[in-house]
Amino acid sequence: MVEHARGLYDKKEAFSSYKLQHALSPYYKVALTTLGSSIYSLTETDEFEIAEKIKRKFVRQKRDKDAAVFSELHRILQGQKLLRNRWAILYLLHRLSGESTSKQKGGTSSTFFHSLSSHLVSTPFVSQHSGQLTTDGSAKIHSVTGSSTASSGISSIRSSFHSNDPSPVPQSVPPSYLKTPAGAQLLRGGQVLPSTGERVLHLLGRNQTDTTLMLRSDRTISTTSTSYRMSRKPGSSDELSEAVILRELVYVFRGIEGKYIKYDVTKEGYRIDAKAGIPRALRKAVAKLAECGWMYNQIWKYADSRSTDRAFGLVGQSFCDALHQELTEYYRLMSVLEAQLKQNDDEVLSDHGSELTVRRLAVWMCGPHIRLKTMAALVDVCQGKKGGALATAIHSYLQHGDPTVRSLIRHMLALVAQPIFSTIITWQYHGELEDTYHEFFVASDPTVKNERLWHEKYTLRKSMIPSFISLEQAKKILLTGKSVNFLRQVCHDRTSIRSRDIIRQTETNQVESIFSQDVNGIFQKMIDAVYKETSRHLLDILHTKYKFVDHLKAMRRYLLLGQGDFIRYLMDLLEDDLAKPPQMLFLHNLTSILETAIRGTNAQYDDIDILRRLDVRLLEVSPGDIGWDVFSLDYHVDGPVQTVFTPESMIIYLRVFNFLWRAKRMEYILAGIWKSQMSNARILKSMPELSVVLHHCHMLASEMVHFVQQVQYYINFEVLECSWDELLNKMNDAEDLDCVIAAHQVFLDTISTRCLLDKQSQGKWGVTETEERKEERRRKDFRHTMLSATKAQLSVLASSYQEIWPPSSSYAINLEQRHKNFNFRLDFNEQYNARDPKLRRSRVPHKTKRRDREEKMKQRSDE
Amino acid sequence: MPREIITLQLGQCGNQIGMEFWKQLCAEHGISPEGILEDFATEGTDRKDVFFYQADDEHYIPRSVLIDLEPRVINSIMTSAYANLYNPENIYMSKDGGGAGNNWASGFTQGEGVYEEVFDIIDREADGSDSLEGFVVCHSIAGGTGSGMGSYILEKLNDRFPKKLIQTYSVFPNQDEISDVVVQPYNSLLTLKRLTQNADCVVVLDNTALHRIAAERLHIDTPTFAQINHLVSTVMATSTTTLRYPGYMNNDLIGLIASLIPTPRLHFLMTGYTPLTTDTQVASIRKTTVLDVMRRLLQPKNMMVSTPVHRQANHCYIAILNIIQGEVDPTQVHKSLQRIRERKLAQFIPWGPASIQVALSRKSPYVQTAHRVSGLMLANHTSISDLFERCVRQYDKLRKREAFLDQFKRTPIFKDNLDEFDDSREVLQQLIDEYHAATKSDYITWGTQQVLRRRIYIDVKDVLACGASWDEKLPE
Repeated sequence: MVEHARGLYDKKEAFSSYKLQHALSPYYKVALTTLGSSIYSLTETDEFEIAEKIKRKFVRQKRDKDAAVFSELHRILQGQKLLRNRWAILYLLHRLSGESTSKQKGGTSSTFFHSLSSHLVSTPFVSQHSGQLTTDGSAKIHSVTGSSTASSGISSIRSSFHSNDPSPVPQSVPPSYLKTPAGAQLLRGGQVLPSTGERVLHLLGRNQTDTTLMLRSDRTISTTSTSYRMSRKPGSSDELSEAVILRELVYVFRGIEGKYIKYDVTKEGYRIDAKAGIPRALRKAVAKLAECGWMYNQIWKYADSRSTDRAFGLVGQSFCDALHQELTEYYRLMSVLEAQLKQNDDEVLSDHGSELTVRRLAVWMCGPHIRLKTMAALVDVCQGKKGGALATAIHSYLQHGDPTVRSLIRHMLALVAQPIFSTIITWQYHGELEDTYHEFFVASDPTVKNERLWHEKYTLRKSMIPSFISLEQAKKILLTGKSVNFLRQVCHDRTSIRSRDIIRQTETNQVESIFSQDVNGIFQKMIDAVYKETSRHLLDILHTKYKFVDHLKAMRRYLLLGQGDFIRYLMDLLEDDLAKPPQMLFLHNLTSILETAIRGTNAQYDDIDILRRLDVRLLEVSPGDIGWDVFSLDYHVDGPVQTVFTPESMIIYLRVFNFLWRAKRMEYILAGIWKSQMSNARILKSMPELSVVLHHCHMLASEMVHFVQQVQYYINFEVLECSWDELLNKMNDAEDLDCVIAAHQVFLDTISTRCLLDKQSQGKWGVTETEERKEERRRKDFRHTMLSATKAQLSVLASSYQEIWPPSSSYAINLEQRHKNFNFRLDFNEQYNARDPKLRRSRVPHKTKRRDREEKMKQRSDE
Repeated sequence: MPREIITLQLGQCGNQIGMEFWKQLCAEHGISPEGILEDFATEGTDRKDVFFYQADDEHYIPRSVLIDLEPRVINSIMTSAYANLYNPENIYMSKDGGGAGNNWASGFTQGEGVYEEVFDIIDREADGSDSLEGFVVCHSIAGGTGSGMGSYILEKLNDRFPKKLIQTYSVFPNQDEISDVVVQPYNSLLTLKRLTQNADCVVVLDNTALHRIAAERLHIDTPTFAQINHLVSTVMATSTTTLRYPGYMNNDLIGLIASLIPTPRLHFLMTGYTPLTTDTQVASIRKTTVLDVMRRLLQPKNMMVSTPVHRQANHCYIAILNIIQGEVDPTQVHKSLQRIRERKLAQFIPWGPASIQVALSRKSPYVQTAHRVSGLMLANHTSISDLFERCVRQYDKLRKREAFLDQFKRTPIFKDNLDEFDDSREVLQQLIDEYHAATKSDYITWGTQQVLRRRIYIDVKDVLACGASWDEKLPE
């Protein structure tokens, strides 16, 4: 094939080498155009006639020598059996020579093509082979992968995309693109021509089904020598000539009303004047063609109004741009048509009957009509939409059954998705959100402060999520960018994430991957990888630089009383202070006590930074409170860690602390009671009469101890240890900060629920789990039956015990001061004299009596 | 440095188990025999100041007082590697070195004689601590010094530090072999009275059971003192582990024992430990989970108290505390408790709430053990009364024959009469009765019927008669 081309080339060179030296390309293009268009316009394929024509031409030009050479060459050519379509070649050469002459004369017909070729084509076509060209890592992604049938554009010009690439890119052309094998051969041969580096110009990059039709119609425009028979045909006086109709149509195509085809406002479309003398047969075709005008108008109006509207956003702008590109192609077509019409008018060529007719136009406009229709539909559906919603609207058309439409949509979508894609990229890698027009699916609230950045600053704009991006992906994208921002703004971490940069370099940045996810998972992979790396980096920073786990452990140690020795000692030290009313408490005293407690226990080995954050806090005072009710430990958090330890969760911590602190205090008090019971039992052993009462006190106290101990064990194991274990496991598995926050929240929720601090269990002590309820019932039973029964019994005993002693106040006062300590020791838990009002009233004398007696007993036993 | 505990080691046995205890603590805290913190242990989060204090030169010194009436055992300590560990001022040895001659009365009397010197040491040690929690006394109840002098010191500690806890680790004599101490029943009885009345908590270490465990569980036919003492020190160290490795709960001695002891007299605790291994024995291949450990702790063969199994007596647990060390999943604890309740593995008192309490504790990272999980049980069980009954029986036998009373009669306490014996027996009998009563559901009203209103009246009358002129105001 190449040889043939070379041969041809040689031959061509033989008589037009001097021209080729200077301006080969236009001719070459014309050659191809000619090849692609006018082969079938010849009614007969008379090789001889063409040869004769050429010879005559040479003669006319007084180049007899050339004529002789040509006949010689023709003879050799005839000897070649491989070349079957010799006439075609000759015809081509003839035409070429004709072109050159006309151009020399300043002819205009070919300039149109010339100018066309230098344009950037509406649909950049890159074959699969050329994919590597775009992998230069630039953030601006312009390339679109497509199959060879996926080109679009009204003039359907294919071109190798990168002109800076000197080597021609081999392109595969559908074999049946041209019916004539020779033509195809020529075409291919032309493409592999070395040294030209020219764009290969195709007319009609259609898919194969269209080919035949379009070839026929194309022929009508591109043939410069089309005859103009129809217009000259004599017709009836009232009938419009086809030329007029055609002119009308061409105007209508551009949205301009003609004489006979008017814009009908009521019906919203172009209507043919009923009076116009248009044959009925043509009417339909003309009406259909006129639709193009209406659709053009719609599209143009949309694109024109929006393209200047900056608030329409980047996605909208891209959409308008895509529309404009398509319209440009449409304009080209229009100019071709106009040129054709002009030629129809100007030139009188009787050779071949291939002039423009309404029918031809109808057939020829078939493709553009579909395109216009599709675009008009898009414009219609995109009315009032912008950003992701617009992309969604376009994406919904991607599943169109017609491959032509699909490729058009795909092309437009690629352009429309471009800003979305690049926004995603800059968002994911830099955390920057250049979204002036609120069209991206991540929304940022600039009023939010850094402390709440993670929770509140960035939100998903659900309506703006393009349908080709799943909600899950959108969330991941949001999270990734949020993490980057969090790192930059809150963690003040500017170090680059190395592993992420590597991914970025290797990742192919193809915009199409975003909406063809079912075909390739590049986008998903990219999102996942970036998400993973960013989150890991964030967690690393949080763990290493901001010691998140240390803070968490500090929370457990101090606010959840995990550091038992410290809490114990703190209680010891606070004992006196906290018995006072809250007004008597001074924060600086308490703080210094806290300091002492830290110094005195293992807490002193803790990180100084953590101890610095530990503080005392006094809660709001309600009437009747004492120091114990308002005291609370506090832990100050700041910086990134605050994102996890939010003020809300700190309140839960404090609430839990309050509960645990009270439980601990009960344990503490009971331990004190137990201790005094032990020593009292020793002291009072010489008074066996007391033993009954004491025994009951012991029983009661032991039940209380048991209850409090069980509560404590329950808190320790079922609440703290288990939840903590779970939290640590989740923390280890956590992929991103959200997981950590969620795990922490679950931890707090579990604790407060199990500590019966949530709303549900307040008042009624009911917990969802049956087991806990059972346990609770048991405790209730204990409190209601066992305890109260015991208490009742004890009060009966105590009152009968008291009855023995008639009240006498004078003696009591004498002994009051002397035996204050003993009084305290004996009255260790105020169990049996605080309850009965009668006893309370007459407490002092009773006690003194008792004290008196015991004093005596003691003296006696000492003796 | 809050909640310090001072250890008193009395007599031969007390000093021996005390020494083992300190060895164990030093190993667990990474403290060298000289009292210097090992390099690998500087980062620890353990609490050393409960049992140690730091001298000016950063040495860790045990809060321990070593007392003996004969120099042999203490001398052997002072010649061992741990000689420099103890504060030499905290060692009291009787100058004549005669010992108590395995006689309680002798020990008690000598105790009176050295009271000033011994309590000088104890006072100084107590003053040196910020908030003393209490005392731990190591002694045996059968010998002379540990029992006699121990009894005296217990009484005096009560007087001197009425608000401080007194916990004892008391070694009970081996019943399986005939002791060379013939007056052992007398000694035991007299000591038990003090343990009942003057101690807050007594951890019973029954030599009978310890030997049995050594023979049956560890397969040592003739266990040495060192091996037995190692068992004891393991128990002692483990029972203090929650104090030394602070957590949410059980951070002080009082919290640990308060829930175990419902009424003042029922304060004799049994111990059980599993899995038991000694250095010589290769660790057997067995599964150690929480449930496994807890279940094995309930088996009588692992108990360090030998009590015959009476079916008819209905003995039951008053309270149980399991201290479990090692890698334990806290979620397993609840399941294990459920399983134990389902299987009714433990019989509890019928008169009040009781349960198995579980304390999870960290294990020392410096001591390598073959087992993933190990557990110590501290149990208050009514069958401990068998031990006292046995003691009372032996005493009665001896007393009936009036045997070996001469040496007692030579001492001031028994110079005039033998009332102290009768008194002690009565106290012990009351204790036994109370333990028996605690197996019944009416324990809650125990003692009510014995006390009559009239009797209170009479007593009150006496009291008042001695005092002011209140007689006329009294109702008749």
